[in-house]
Amino acid sequence: MSTVVPPVVQESGEGPSDPSTVVGGDDRDKPAGPINRIYAFLRSIPTGILWLLVIVWSIPTLGLFVNSFRDRDAQRSTGWWKVSPGELTLDNYDEIFGARQGLGQSLLNSAAIAIPATIIPIAIAAFAAYGFAWIDFKGRKALFIATVALLAIPLQVALIPLLQMFNNGASLTLPLLDSTIVLIPDFNLAGTTTATWLTHTGFAMPFAIFLLHNYISSLPKDLFEAARIDGAAHFTIFWRLVLPLSIPVLAAFAIFQFLWTWNDYLIANTMIGANASSQPTTILIANLAGDFGRNEDILPAAAFVQSFIPIIVFFALQRYFVRGILAGSVKG
Amino acid sequence: MEYARIAAGFVLVLGLVYWAFVEPKIRTTFVTVVIAVAASAGIWIGANLLFDQVRVHWTRFMVIASAVVGAIVGIVLHGNLVTIGSGEGFFTWVVGPLAGAAAFGALGYGLAVTDDPSRRRAIAIGGSLAIGAVIGLVIRDTYHPEFDAVAIVVSTAIGAALGAGISLLGKKAPVRGALTGGAIGWIAGAWGGADLGDGSLATSLIAALVPAALIGVRLAMTSNPDYRARLVLDNRSRATIFIGPALLFILVMLVIPAVRTLYLSLLDDDSEDFVRLENYTSVFTDRNSLDLDNWTNMFTSIPFIIGMVLLGIAVIVGVTMKQRTGRAVEVGNPTVAPLVFGALLVAFGAFTAMRGTLINNLWWVVVVTFLSTALGLAIAVLADQRGGERFAKSIIFMPMAISLVGASIIWRFVYTARDTSTEQTGVLNALWVGLGRLSTGSGLPTLIFGAAILLALIGLLMVCARMLVRYGPGRAVVPGIAAIFVGWFFIRYVGIIGTGVGGHRVAEDGTVSAETVFFVQETPYNNFWLMVIFIWIQTGFAMVILSAAIKAVPTELIEAAKIDGATSSQVFWRVTLPQIATTIGVVVTTLIVGVMKVFDIVKVTTNGQFGSQVLANQMFQEAFGFTNTGKGAALAILIFVAVLPVMIYNIRRMQREG
Repeated sequence: MSTVVPPVVQESGEGPSDPSTVVGGDDRDKPAGPINRIYAFLRSIPTGILWLLVIVWSIPTLGLFVNSFRDRDAQRSTGWWKVSPGELTLDNYDEIFGARQGLGQSLLNSAAIAIPATIIPIAIAAFAAYGFAWIDFKGRKALFIATVALLAIPLQVALIPLLQMFNNGASLTLPLLDSTIVLIPDFNLAGTTTATWLTHTGFAMPFAIFLLHNYISSLPKDLFEAARIDGAAHFTIFWRLVLPLSIPVLAAFAIFQFLWTWNDYLIANTMIGANASSQPTTILIANLAGDFGRNEDILPAAAFVQSFIPIIVFFALQRYFVRGILAGSVKG
Repeated sequence: MEYARIAAGFVLVLGLVYWAFVEPKIRTTFVTVVIAVAASAGIWIGANLLFDQVRVHWTRFMVIASAVVGAIVGIVLHGNLVTIGSGEGFFTWVVGPLAGAAAFGALGYGLAVTDDPSRRRAIAIGGSLAIGAVIGLVIRDTYHPEFDAVAIVVSTAIGAALGAGISLLGKKAPVRGALTGGAIGWIAGAWGGADLGDGSLATSLIAALVPAALIGVRLAMTSNPDYRARLVLDNRSRATIFIGPALLFILVMLVIPAVRTLYLSLLDDDSEDFVRLENYTSVFTDRNSLDLDNWTNMFTSIPFIIGMVLLGIAVIVGVTMKQRTGRAVEVGNPTVAPLVFGALLVAFGAFTAMRGTLINNLWWVVVVTFLSTALGLAIAVLADQRGGERFAKSIIFMPMAISLVGASIIWRFVYTARDTSTEQTGVLNALWVGLGRLSTGSGLPTLIFGAAILLALIGLLMVCARMLVRYGPGRAVVPGIAAIFVGWFFIRYVGIIGTGVGGHRVAEDGTVSAETVFFVQETPYNNFWLMVIFIWIQTGFAMVILSAAIKAVPTELIEAAKIDGATSSQVFWRVTLPQIATTIGVVVTTLIVGVMKVFDIVKVTTNGQFGSQVLANQMFQEAFGFTNTGKGAALAILIFVAVLPVMIYNIRRMQREG
C-alpha cells in the first residue's frame, strides 16, 4: 500500500518568453503567412489563461493586504488598486494589537489550541499506525477499514454530545437497577482549551492513522524481520526504527493538523464560544466581521495577521504539506 | 540554506521559551501539556516494558501485572474513601494501593510458579477468597450494602450471559466468560443497586466473597502458558497497547457521540420526551428547508435556457458525429464539453428557482464540486511542464492555508458595494459599474473596447470556419459556442438589444446612472457568490492531487500516442484522462464530503440570511443558538446520511485495493 509521491514541482527549462515555443495547440498545422501568426497567437492562449487565473486568484488576498495599510477614510473612498504610497500607515496594526481589540491575546489562544492539538494526535496515531501495519492480530484489516471509514464522518454529528460531556461529564443510567454510574466525571472542561485539544485529537485520528499507516506499512519488511530475529520487541522497533524513518510523514501530518487547528472555527466556537479569555483568532475576526461594519477598517489587518502564520508555515513547508495531501487522498 | 533553517529554528525555539516564561497563558498550557504527555508516555512505556517480560520472564510479568491490578483496586477503594482508615492524611494514599499490590502480587506469584493443577486450584480459589474476605471486612459501615435479591440475580444472570456470549464468539468455553461476567454482574447488583450503609458486616462479606469465589474458579481453570502461547499473548497485548489509545479516542470522541446524536435526534428540544421522527419531518415540511412552490420559474432562468441550448447543440453534434464516425458519445468527443456544461447550467437554473436549506446544500455540492475539480484539472494541465509552473501552482494553492473565516473576510472586500453616487471600492462592483459606463458611454474607450470584442468575435468565427472546413463539425463546436457567447455579448454591448451591459440603470428620462450588485445579499445568486469563496480555496486542493496524477501517467503512453499522430487534445482526452479517472473520483468524493459540512463561510458572511442557509449552519443555530437539541441533532444526522454513500464508496475502494 505504498504511496508513491511523484515530484510535484517540475521546473520546465523553457521560459514563457516566446509564446510560439509553448506547446498547446496542434503541431501538425503549420500553414504559412498571416494564418501562421494567428495560430502562434492562439497557441499562447493557454499560457495567457493560466497567468490570468493566477492573477485572479491572488487579487482578493492582495486587496486585503493593501487595505490593511490604509486608514478608514482611504478604504471607504477609493479602491485599494488606487493606493498611493503617501497614505500607507501602520495604525490599523497598532489598533488591533492595542487596547481596542487585543489580537495579541487571541493569537496566544490560537497557539495554545493549535500546538498541543497538533502534538497529541501525532503520538497516538503513530502508535496505532504501527500497530495496524506491523502487529498481526485477528480482525486487523476490518478494524483498520472501520477506522479509516470514519474519515468521511462530518464532525457536526458528534458536537452536541461532546459539548454535553465537557459541560457535565458522562453518566449511564442502568434501566433495571435504577442507579447511575458516572463514566466520565465532570472535569469542568466547559469553555477550556483542553476541550478543544481532546476534540481535535479525536477528529484527527482517522486521517492521521490513514496517512501514517500508508507510509509506515510501506517500510521494507526485511528491516522488521531482521530486528525481530535480533530479539527486539515491538516497542524497541517502533522507537528505534520506525519513528526515525517516519519523520517526513510525521512532518506532513503535523503541518496539516496545525493548519487545520489554527484555522478551525466550528470546534472552537462550539467548545469555547463565549469564553472571551480563551477565544482564538478565528472567533475574534468573525466577531469583528459581524459587528455591522463598525470595525470594518481594522478587519483587513486582523484577517491578515490571522492568515499570516498559516501562510508562512505553508510556504516554508509546502513540500511536506503537498505530500500530506497526496498521501491522504491518492493511494499508489 | 540548511544553516539558515537551523538558525531560524533555534531563534524560534528561544523565542518560544522566552514567551513561555513571560506569558502565563502559554506557561500554563505548556506545563499542562508536558504533564499530560509525560504521564501518558509513562503509562504507555510502562505497559510496553511490562509486556516485554512476557516472552522470557513469565513469573516477573505475572507478579508485576497482578500487583498493578491490585494497586488499582486499592486506589479505587481507598481513594473513594470506601475502606476503613482511608482519607486520613498522606499515609492512607499509600496504604491502600500498597496492600492491594502486595496481595494481588502474591497471588500472581503463586500462580506463576506452580504448574500442578490441583495446587493451582488451591492457590487460585484460596487466594481469591482471602482477598475477597479482607475487602469485605475493611469496607466501612456506611458502605455495607443491603441486598436487593432481584437486582443481584438479574444483574448476575445478565453478566454471566454476556460473558458466555463473548466467550462463544471468541470460540472459547462459555463457562469461563460466564464466571467473569457473573462476578462483574454480582458486583454491580450487590453494590451498585443496593442502598449502601443499610447492610451489615455479613452482607458486606457475602457481597465481596461471592465474586471473589467466581473469579477464583475462573483463575483455577487457567494454566501457565507455554512459550508459543506467550508469544501470542505478547502480540495481542502489543496490538492493544499500540492501537488502544487511538481507538479509545475514536470511540469517546466520535463513535459514541455520533450514536448519542442519533438518539437525541429522536427526543424533543430539551431531550426529555420521545418524539419519534418529528424533528426530521419538521425539517422536510419547513418551507425554509424545502420550498418548491416556484419551481416552474426555472424555465425562465437564464442559466437554464443557456444550458438547454448547449444540451441541444450537444445532441445535434452527437447525431452528426454518429453519421460520420458511428459513435455519438465518447470521451474527447466534442459533444462532451457542451453536454457537461449544459447539464451544469440546467441544474444551476433549477436551483435558482427552488429555495430552502436542502436545495442550497445540494446546489453547493453540485457547483463547488464540479467547478473546483474542473478548474483544478484545467490549471494542472495548463501549468504542466510550463515555465513558472511552481510559482503559478503555489499561488493557486495558497488559499488552502487560509482559514475559511479569513477567506470569507478577504472576499467580503471583493464583494463590497458602495452607494452608487460614490466610487466603488470592491473589485467586482468597480469592474461591473465600469463595464456599464463603457457600454453606455460614447467616448474613445467605449470604441476601443467594442473593437476588441469585435476582433475577438471575428477571430473566433475564422477559427470556427477553418475547423469546419478542415475537420468537419466536431472540432468547430467549442469555438462555435464561444463565438455565440462573444457575439451575444457584442450585441448587448453596443445596445442592439437592451440598453447595454454592466452595472447601469437607465431612467425614464433617458439619464444613465450606475447600479451595483449586492453580491452577498441578493437571493438566490448570493449562494453562488458564497460558493466562489469555497471554490477559490478548494481548486488548489484539486489541482495538487490531479497534477501529481497527471505527472504519474507513464511518458511512454503519451509518446506512443503522439507517434500515432494524436493531437494534444486527443492525448489529453483519450490517454491522460482515463489514466487519472480514479484520482478524479477521489477528488470528487473528498470535495463532496467537504462541501456537505460547509459552515464557516455561510456563518461569517450571511449567517444564513438572504436565503443562503445551509444544513451545517442551521444545525449550529438550532443546537447552540436556540438550544433545540433535538432538531440540531436531526440536522447533524442528515448531514451524516448525505455523506454516507461516499463513506460506503470509500470502504468498497479500500477493500478492493486490500
